[in-house]
Amino acid sequence: MNRFGLFSLTAPIVHLIGLIVLVALAMAGLAGTEFALSRYLANAIGQLAAFAVLAISLDLIWGYLGILSLGHGLFFALGGYLIAMYLLKHSFEITGTVPDFLQFMGWKEFPFYWDGFEFFPYALAAAVVITTLISGLFGYVSFRSRVGGVYFAIITQALVYVAMLLMFRNDTGFGGNNGMTGFTVLFGWPMGTSGMITALAVVSLLVLAGVLAGCNGLVKSRFGALMLATRDDETRLRTMGYETLRLKLIVWCLSALIAMLAGMLYVPQVGIINPRVLSPELSLEIAVWVAIGGRGHLVGAVIGALLVNAVKFWLSFAAPEIWPFILSGLIVLVVLVFPNGLMDLAKFKLMRPMGPKRLAADMGEARP
Amino acid sequence: MKLARFVLFLVGLVAGGPLLAPTARAQALDRAGLIGNLCGNASAMGEAAAVLTGLAMSGDAADRAFAVPLARAVIDRKLACDEAGAVLTESGLDAVTRAPRPAAGEARTPVLSLKNRATYELADAALALRAAPEPAQRAAALKTLERRPALIPEGLLDAAAASETDAGLKADIETLAQTAALNAADPAARIRALARIADTPSRRALTKVSALTTDPAYAASPDFRAAVDDATLRIERGIAIGDVLATLYNGLSFASILFMAAIGLAIIFGLMGVINLAQGELIMIGAYVTWLVQQGLRVAAPSLLDWYLVLAIPVAFFVTAAIGIALEASLLRHLYKRPLMSLLATWAVSLFLMNLVRVVFGTQNLQFETPFYVTGGVPVIGDFIFTWNRMFAIAFAIVTLALTWGLVRRTPFGLNIRAVTQNRDMAACIGIPTRRVDMMAFGLGSGLAGLAGLALSPIYSVNPQMGQNFIIDAFMVVVLGGVGTIAGTVVAALGIGQINVLIEPLWGAVAAKVIVLLMIIAFLQWRPEGLFAVKGRRK
Amino acid sequence: MSLTALLVDGLTVRFGSFRALDELSLAIDYGEVRAIIGPNGAGKTTLLDVISGITRPKQGRVLFDGAIDLTGLSEAAIARAGLRRKFQKPSVFEGLSVRQHIAIGADVGFRTRLDAPALEDRVGEVLEIVGLVDQSHRLAGELSHGQKQWLEIGMVLASDPKVLMLDEPVAGLTDEETERTAALVRALKRPDRAIVVVEHDMDFVERIADRVTVLHEGRTLFEGSMDKVRADAAVVEVYLGR
Ligand SMILES: Nc1ncnc2c1ncn2[C@@H]1O[C@H](COP(=O)(O)OP(=O)(O)OP(=O)(O)O)[C@@H](O)[C@H]1O
Ligand SMILES: [Mg+2]
Repeated sequence: MNRFGLFSLTAPIVHLIGLIVLVALAMAGLAGTEFALSRYLANAIGQLAAFAVLAISLDLIWGYLGILSLGHGLFFALGGYLIAMYLLKHSFEITGTVPDFLQFMGWKEFPFYWDGFEFFPYALAAAVVITTLISGLFGYVSFRSRVGGVYFAIITQALVYVAMLLMFRNDTGFGGNNGMTGFTVLFGWPMGTSGMITALAVVSLLVLAGVLAGCNGLVKSRFGALMLATRDDETRLRTMGYETLRLKLIVWCLSALIAMLAGMLYVPQVGIINPRVLSPELSLEIAVWVAIGGRGHLVGAVIGALLVNAVKFWLSFAAPEIWPFILSGLIVLVVLVFPNGLMDLAKFKLMRPMGPKRLAADMGEARP
Repeated sequence: MKLARFVLFLVGLVAGGPLLAPTARAQALDRAGLIGNLCGNASAMGEAAAVLTGLAMSGDAADRAFAVPLARAVIDRKLACDEAGAVLTESGLDAVTRAPRPAAGEARTPVLSLKNRATYELADAALALRAAPEPAQRAAALKTLERRPALIPEGLLDAAAASETDAGLKADIETLAQTAALNAADPAARIRALARIADTPSRRALTKVSALTTDPAYAASPDFRAAVDDATLRIERGIAIGDVLATLYNGLSFASILFMAAIGLAIIFGLMGVINLAQGELIMIGAYVTWLVQQGLRVAAPSLLDWYLVLAIPVAFFVTAAIGIALEASLLRHLYKRPLMSLLATWAVSLFLMNLVRVVFGTQNLQFETPFYVTGGVPVIGDFIFTWNRMFAIAFAIVTLALTWGLVRRTPFGLNIRAVTQNRDMAACIGIPTRRVDMMAFGLGSGLAGLAGLALSPIYSVNPQMGQNFIIDAFMVVVLGGVGTIAGTVVAALGIGQINVLIEPLWGAVAAKVIVLLMIIAFLQWRPEGLFAVKGRRK
Repeated sequence: MSLTALLVDGLTVRFGSFRALDELSLAIDYGEVRAIIGPNGAGKTTLLDVISGITRPKQGRVLFDGAIDLTGLSEAAIARAGLRRKFQKPSVFEGLSVRQHIAIGADVGFRTRLDAPALEDRVGEVLEIVGLVDQSHRLAGELSHGQKQWLEIGMVLASDPKVLMLDEPVAGLTDEETERTAALVRALKRPDRAIVVVEHDMDFVERIADRVTVLHEGRTLFEGSMDKVRADAAVVEVYLGR
């Protein structure tokens, strides 16, 4: 009963969700007062929340389904590009600013496929449909031919790499190597004000809380048990009558959609999107957040994303050139010493569902 | 334009008349007779000019050296004719014997008629082109000749091209030779020239030949017309063949690099199920080691500098192999049966190595010497040049393939690798030290990456990020080829290499990558295990 | 309902040039417990792999219920048709509890179709049968080898299969555990169910099997009761001869 049931009130995930909501409410309540966070800090919190959502999306398929994607940046970028299209088109409608990249290409007007992007619902629907289509198609052909493990990881990496090359081209109508920037208006409100920054951060936190709660509900449900079963022994589950292809496809698309959502939250806050979010390195970094936080734990994924990115934010001021060395050191440490990331540190029965023995084993990998 | 050509044609007919058969020449040069003619009347001077031009084309080098100052001296009026013959007034030498002597008695300076002036200028330029010591002088002479292509005697330029040592000048001479021959006055010579041009088809030749369709002779002479049409056809065919060969050749060299980058990956993947994301950086390090060897030679043994590419082979191999072994022993050893984690671990290594090199050497491209054996190439047909730098990579890959194949198929170590690849537990049971095999195989795979870096250094730019450019293609080769098979890797590298270069000119490099990826995904639908899967028991 | 549950007809499976099954034919009836024995590598597991859809044969068919050709169906479709199988190597989901295993086995689908109390009843019933009531909340990864074997049996029988295939159910068990397993298999015997057991333990086979098929090098060497098998010269030759 316990395992199929929803979460109990003492579970760490409930505390985390509560904390996130609390921070969001505090930020909203204090906005405009002298206790309000600095613009920089508020913005950083908002971006971190978007990264945490991204980490959850990867944890869902890697930690719970055993499928490692090294191309999740693709879906993140999809969300980012599509919201950027909305922002540019919307800003253009209101202020008449022509985006840089159009001027750069010497184009007089937006390409036809930008039609309708000035309406947020349309942009949102387009993002959902396109993400579902791309992830669905790719997932279907991969899972159908039972491509998994390292093969899948490598092919997703190639996918995101190819997408990056594509977006680097200037003639695609998506900003080329400079990307898209210069967003001025969101929902009719000017961007860049403290109010807007706080609002975006609060929304990101609330979305994070929602995604966390939703995913927790999913992984604790019967469906979640089937996800773990697929991860542990897919053939076994198939020979019990379950179409694991469908299950994997559903989770894969869901994960892609969550990553897309993260991209939609992220781009208005940094104010730019360019093909570099499609670099294989970023996608690999997501896996590192999850690995450091601990795969197969939603709380771990969130904490991993927050921790790694907080250090990265800080170092990008202090000493940007040593970041790669720190990152590689962290990875080696986690891989060799703490195979379950921070969850190894937080042994104090924080994460019961996995059990100690399971913790020691490497999750979701092909066994001999 | 047309008019100018026509005028040139007429001038050629008139002025070139006496020069048409200058090749008929006495076996040994009658030096005194020649000087006599130089001092003679207009027609004798004309004959002398013909002899001089003839010397420029054939005859021995001593006679040519003898003739070089003469035409110039006549043009510049620096020749004093007297009873004893003539004196070159500038140097004060006897024109025949080249012994110093003053001009005797009543010296007379021969005057050039208008017609003879042109022929003497031609003779002077022809001689300078053949015999002047400085390339710049020869180039100037060529410029003079270029102004009157119709006047240039047949054979001069061919002879000049044959003896020319400067590559750029040589190409210019050849170009002019074609133009000259095509514009010769004699229709038969033109037809012969067409046939010769068609023997070495190129785009430049095509432009020249197709320009002849506007030539008056094209409309007038059916023979000429047929010759032009035939030459056009042959050149076009040659260009097409050349293009195909060039594409295949480029594809082959790209495939060679891909193969070298992928074979190490494939061996390691087959053996341990680990994809080494640092393979690209090992390639990069191979290239950097090559560069270091070059720099070392520059200091220690400059005479061997040209051979750095060869001398670096063992160094690049062993340095990268040592890195690979260290990597396996310190990191991957602990990640058995956790292939996804080892993916992350090797990525960390890749990040580390790339940034280390960036910090130590900087981000700029390295400068490599190009030794003679990777310089230039042999033009084959059309615009296809069999370049040595690409041939180096291809030959290198073939040798590597042969050695790797021999190692895996014919040595006890190779037998161990194959045994562990097929069934690790069984291999361990019969006493194969699987851990040692893993370590050595990882060293081998890494060493091969180092060699790939060496092989590509004459072709691609070398910088800390270079590994990234090859690694994804190399993965695709492994995925397509199947786990741990050499044959699969070869076929997949050839396939992906060729497809890339085939698509690139049509739709661009990005499209090539997209299409290759889509094809691989489609291919996996049909054969999820790759081309040459090793059959093993379902685990 | 036809009497024949499974009709294996001219089955050939090749791995490279090696024939794991060589035009194998046999019939298994409802209501019987059929043991399949044979030396290592005889093709027993391969036969179960083909029946459960994991391996595609080169040739031949497997007819279920006299009508459905299983060789074209997916593993999941075969399982939903009512065939379940326990693997030779205990295959359980290490991250799930014992109870979750049984629940997954009892009711196929991403959501439960049985209502909660009905599912609970069924799970309790099966836990009772395989004797894992006390372990119901433990993770499968923590169980002993014997318990894993039983858990897997419980998981496959929870769905009330028409054909139950057990690949070496007593390998690695103690005598007492083997005893209990034999009793369990006999208890599972029903007129509308065929049970196929692959085993090397001859005493166990003798206790449970109605009929025995001896496989050798992918072909049927002998078929009959255990007594006759013991007496057959060819079988003795195969087992002892090398
Ligand atoms: N996927 C595979 N690839 C190659 N050979 C295989 C494969 N599967 C099975 N084999 C071979 O087929 C033969 C039959 O194997 P199978 O597992 O069916 O034997 P078995 O009768 O179950 O033996 P055991 O009693 O040891 O379990 C063996 O020689 C085995 O090595
Ligand atoms: Mg077996």
